[in-house]
Amino acid sequence: MIIKGFFSALIALAVLVQPTSADETCMSPYMAKIVGQEDYVYIWTLGLEGVGNGEDKLVTVDVNPDSETYAQVIHSISMGGRHEAHHSGLTDDRRYLWASGLDTSKIFIFDVHTDPAAPKLHRTIDDFVEKTGGVVGPHTNYALPGRMLITGLSNNRDHGGRTGMAEYTNGGDFITSVWMPTDDNLQGAEKSGNFADGYGYDARALPRRNVLVTSSFTGWNNYMMNLGKMMGDAEAMKRFGNTVVIWDLHTRKPKKVLDVPGAPLEIRCAWGSRSNYCFTTTALTSKVWLIYEDEAGEWQAKAVADIGDASKIPLPVDISISADDNHLWINTWNDGLTRLYDISDPFAPTQIMEEQIGEQVNMVSQSWDGERLYYTSSLLANWDKTTASEGNDLQYFKLYKWDGKTMTPEFNLDFVELGLGAPHQMRFGAHALYGGMTAQSPSGLITAPPAH
Amino acid sequence: MVLAPGYAPLSFTAPEPGSYALPAMGSAADGAVIDSEGNSAKLHDFLGDKPTVLSFIFTTCDDVNGCPLATYVMRSVQDALRADPATADKARLVSFSFDPVFDTPDVIDAYGSQFRAGDFDWQFLTTEGATTLDPILNAYGQWVIRDYDENGEYMGTMSHILRVFLIDESRQIRNIYSTSFLHADTVANDVRSLLMEATAATSADTGS
Repeated sequence: MIIKGFFSALIALAVLVQPTSADETCMSPYMAKIVGQEDYVYIWTLGLEGVGNGEDKLVTVDVNPDSETYAQVIHSISMGGRHEAHHSGLTDDRRYLWASGLDTSKIFIFDVHTDPAAPKLHRTIDDFVEKTGGVVGPHTNYALPGRMLITGLSNNRDHGGRTGMAEYTNGGDFITSVWMPTDDNLQGAEKSGNFADGYGYDARALPRRNVLVTSSFTGWNNYMMNLGKMMGDAEAMKRFGNTVVIWDLHTRKPKKVLDVPGAPLEIRCAWGSRSNYCFTTTALTSKVWLIYEDEAGEWQAKAVADIGDASKIPLPVDISISADDNHLWINTWNDGLTRLYDISDPFAPTQIMEEQIGEQVNMVSQSWDGERLYYTSSLLANWDKTTASEGNDLQYFKLYKWDGKTMTPEFNLDFVELGLGAPHQMRFGAHALYGGMTAQSPSGLITAPPAH
Repeated sequence: MVLAPGYAPLSFTAPEPGSYALPAMGSAADGAVIDSEGNSAKLHDFLGDKPTVLSFIFTTCDDVNGCPLATYVMRSVQDALRADPATADKARLVSFSFDPVFDTPDVIDAYGSQFRAGDFDWQFLTTEGATTLDPILNAYGQWVIRDYDENGEYMGTMSHILRVFLIDESRQIRNIYSTSFLHADTVANDVRSLLMEATAATSADTGS
């Protein structure tokens, strides 16, 4: 069923849901949420040479256990080549899924509302670099009201890490772009530490504090380079982001550049009405960082926990915060572990469990109720492992059931065996979002973003 | 029940009017409408001569964080703009119904009279029916799911995502607000920003 009146519905349900982790809680606060059984997972998949047709794909998997095609790939669209498929994101009304390519800088907009079981390509943005004045590598596709915010990773002048962000209408028309603040041009921002590198990666909004937070990774020269070669190149290893930037969300002006050394990646902000903080993890230094507003109203950054043994380069990648702000899932790509941290004291996170997911693990997405954990394996085409040790899966899409204590494998799809490629970002779909009720979605409950 | 932020004091200081850009997001669409006196008109008749805040609502909407929020915030914007003689007659509010079956001109006129203060330029519009309404909703990305019972009968209720638009004197959309982003302080300052922009453009044209 659909809960009539999206807006109050969520608020009522948000009180009822179990305090568990949820990918839906990691998405834009402006977006309607699926709080019941999701019907589909859309997987933005990197093409691999020699695997199927070798092209990037948007793969749809039926994940509703009441469906006759449960745990099967039911749809796939090939993108006419390889674009370094990486991240994807839904518009605030969830009618369109934006999926971008880090190499070709193309953005593919899929209609997921006409038939949620069979997304179709609606529009392709192939002039992102030109429109943005040189931003390369569209990464995060993040919903703002009636528009999409796209973070970049690189630029077309030196293909290094200096980059910017762009905004598009939900229909795919370019609005504006802004470059990240640098030592050369702080754009009015305060440089609070040693760095103002101008790098970019992820973005998250805290509307009630009028804050946008961005992180920083590395440029095209590095993310398209063979991992082993790059790790042995001392100069290349210097070209990683060391900053988190605090922006005025309303004006899109940078306010403060914070030092967060070691390539801070995903950003997840707390949901509590007085929880004015976000987490990020650093890929190279393997730490959990807290980005927080202090009692004086100043935004600060503090390293608050280690993730594994940094000397072994576990490489933390995707993270997921719980709806009650008490837990944080952290995947470490290099050792294939998913780790659960107790973050009830945000200044002192503690790892409380870990589980081997595969030879490598990148993304984690959860259902709203926290009972279903989906995992994919791929990081980047030239960084992914090519062989797996005995008993470990290499390129997969997996579902685990989670009861708060134990993870139980539910299904495992081998994306190489299926001729699909290397699976990356996952996003959920449901018939009930669009008023369609089918036997496959008897319990789809849809709601809207909570008010803070 | 947690109320949307638009019902409470703004939890941060709204950016100063004129201190930021509001880049154009595309043209505001036109279409056939009916005003609260029952006159046929075009939506563009109500857009273009001054900054306008346009919201899509229906009068029987009972979701406190949906249409009532939009109208509450617009009334607060009205109060803020009326309080300053420099802005009192320089902007317009438009509440546009997407329930032409129930929201007849008489109904929207009665609804509007509850909220319009004095002679403030707050217009209430409806349409003849789905034929003229749907193209407008589609053009603004204001999608609506009409609720039907088990027998396929329309229940007179709808699910929708809240959309409020800021439209400038060139009929360009300059901002879009939704539930978590709709507050009178920021909307009023966005309107003031457009007014300052227009004043600056006029000064430049006249060389003053």
